[in-house]
Amino acid sequence: MITTPVKLWRRQKNIASLIGIEGKILNWTIIRVPARSFANQAPYPVVIIELKNKEKMVGQLVDWEKEDLRKGKKVIAVLRKSLPMDPESIIAYTLKFKPHEDH
Amino acid sequence: MKIRIAGAATTEFGELWKTSPRELAREAITGALKDAGKKYDEIDALFVGNMLAGMLGNQANLGALFAEELGISVPAFRVEAACASGGLALHNAINSILAGQYKTVLVLGIEKMTDSSSDEVTAGLMAAGSDEERQAGLTFPGIYALMAQAYMDKYKVSEEVLASVSVKNHFHGSLNEKAQFRRLITVEDVMKSGRIADPLKLLDCSPISDGASAVIIEDENQKSSKPVFITASETASDTLSLHDRESFTTLSAVVRASRKAYEKTGIKPEDIDVAEIHDCFSIAEVIATEDLGFSKKGEGARDIQKGKRTIGKGKIITNPSGGLKACGHPVGATGIKQIVEITQQLRGQAGKRQVKDVKIGLTHNVGGSGSAAVIHILQN
Repeated sequence: MITTPVKLWRRQKNIASLIGIEGKILNWTIIRVPARSFANQAPYPVVIIELKNKEKMVGQLVDWEKEDLRKGKKVIAVLRKSLPMDPESIIAYTLKFKPHEDH
Repeated sequence: MKIRIAGAATTEFGELWKTSPRELAREAITGALKDAGKKYDEIDALFVGNMLAGMLGNQANLGALFAEELGISVPAFRVEAACASGGLALHNAINSILAGQYKTVLVLGIEKMTDSSSDEVTAGLMAAGSDEERQAGLTFPGIYALMAQAYMDKYKVSEEVLASVSVKNHFHGSLNEKAQFRRLITVEDVMKSGRIADPLKLLDCSPISDGASAVIIEDENQKSSKPVFITASETASDTLSLHDRESFTTLSAVVRASRKAYEKTGIKPEDIDVAEIHDCFSIAEVIATEDLGFSKKGEGARDIQKGKRTIGKGKIITNPSGGLKACGHPVGATGIKQIVEITQQLRGQAGKRQVKDVKIGLTHNVGGSGSAAVIHILQN
């Protein structure tokens, strides 16, 4: 995946407002053979979630247990580093989801 | 609409390390010209379908490149729509004839993938997806795995039933001397193969391939001894991201493009004798046979398992070439290879994999996760 400082800056402007957003898992998969830039993270689950307003989002699931991979499981959006970067360059952040307990 | 296919040819598909893209193109085009009984100077224009040359080979400007290779300085175009690049190149070539701009047009589909490592190809193919999907670390097997999971959950279909798609396509591939894989596999082989993106396993996925295919088309006023006509060429687009769609168990672009093709020709799904389907993954062929109206919703996988799409057994035969799974999937070439296969089927030249009494054929070429769909109907 090609990232440049200006691309990251443009993308990351909108992320903050989505942190903490809640949704439910619609579908999930576990990526076992990733693209090169994600090689150090595999295997990892990717989920499609549905928000309360029926809008859908896609992202990685983190801090997960096997039983979290099911339809209807509640998740919450968290800010995480996305890719391993050169230590001298800008850190790339993205939204990921983590299992959220029912309240 | 009636466009005549004057010539059609394909190279072998596979890991063709000894062969350069220029050599692949020349072999496919020479074959199509010989088949048409035409010379280079009879070609008015060249359309090239290709996805990855810019990313993997650092080579753009493919129209001029292949025109130069052939020694013809005709108008030349490169068309890109991910894995539907070949089909969309043909669609544009047809439009150029219908517009009265050219009379005889050469369409080349080509891809050289095995020069790169599989993780580079995986990343390159993700250029067909959205930025959100790339950030999520999704891959194309991953996106189709999400569809497979949605389908299996909705219609209570098992991984074993899905596996029967690859078993059928390997059987067909075993009859095709141009296919990358010509060996039979079993449901057990599929189930035992390594997991790529759950629930899809290695043998649910089409391979990384090299290959080129070419067709020469012309307006119907030109004379030809082996007439095969394209009677419909329709395309539709959809969102880049899977998650932005209402349903994950149907591809709306395929439904819309195929309905238009059926309406314009007056042909019904049950009239189709043979179809080349874009089975980039086992689940893709299942959903396609339903979207095209061959099977009822939720029945596509079980119909394939029962043999309804198998040569010598079924009615609407799908992927006699072996499909993307067994014939191979050099992405830009696939849409044109499908046309070559149906042309040979309609002429009765398909050898061991000949489907009986073929009068009407269809090709189904998909880009991305269904963001581009191209449907062609071919008839004698």
